[in-house]
Amino acid sequence: MALLTDELRAWIGREVHYPAREELGRASIRYFALAMGDDNPLYVDDAYAQAAGYPSVIAPPTLVCETCQYAHRPPDEDGYIGHEWHLPVPDARMIRAGNDYEFMRPVLPTDRISVTWTLADIAERSSSRGGTQLFVSSVATYRDAAGAVVAINRETLVYQPLGAQ
Amino acid sequence: MIRPTRDPATIRVGDALPAREQRFTQVDLVAYGAATWDWHRLHYDLEYARTKKLPGTLVDGQAFGAVFARAALDWAGPRAFIARLGFKMKSMAFAGDTLIARGEVTAVRALDDGVHLVTLAQRLTNGERVCAEATTEVRVPAPAGR
Repeated sequence: MALLTDELRAWIGREVHYPAREELGRASIRYFALAMGDDNPLYVDDAYAQAAGYPSVIAPPTLVCETCQYAHRPPDEDGYIGHEWHLPVPDARMIRAGNDYEFMRPVLPTDRISVTWTLADIAERSSSRGGTQLFVSSVATYRDAAGAVVAINRETLVYQPLGAQ
Repeated sequence: MIRPTRDPATIRVGDALPAREQRFTQVDLVAYGAATWDWHRLHYDLEYARTKKLPGTLVDGQAFGAVFARAALDWAGPRAFIARLGFKMKSMAFAGDTLIARGEVTAVRALDDGVHLVTLAQRLTNGERVCAEATTEVRVPAPAGR
């Protein structure tokens, strides 16, 4: 049975914008570094960061692409508050295939980052476990308060049917 | 006194990054989820994970990006900048797993102003299994005064 229906195809090209709700903030930066056990002083020590040529502490590079800080909604049934297309794919397990991040400049605690998600493509491919699965490619573009792009995240998720294998 | 940034003139194709261990306990998964505003049940609710036919609570694959970035920057130094980091998942990791990041230099290219673009091939292993593979491009500036 084909997973990629016309109904699903119609989702390709959709776009959702999440405006910045506040500055990224020093607390978010320190929290992330602490959670990863990353003791790099660039993330917590202004004097150190300035000696390295930055205006202040900076965010760990991938934080901007990993955080759902842009989100502002109650958790869904999976507990998730971040961006999700909620595609009409019945009884599937969603697995990450990969991410490709591009960074234009270091992100600062004073940055107000907005995010635009675009559904770039949906493709159905055969699975090594038999049957087929859906590859959903999205692009998240992160912009600062001036509208300049600070990072791009190309993400591919796989929807694996949980039915009989 | 800040740590020195690696002099790009000394970087050669084949140079290895030091291996870096990253353990993901259940506490680490909760901390990472909270720090990234990600409350998805997959990362802490074992019964839920089992309904998705997973053997344990899942390490968020995006955390692998942070592990790769840290390994690259700890090696390159504080003035280095990651311009691109692309990673592909090869297998899932679960609470209690200890992953090891390794990598080596696959290309060095001089850009303007003494800045070099250094390409790294990085891998994250989970015991015998490869967890994820990354291609990372790091901009490394020349030391001041050159």
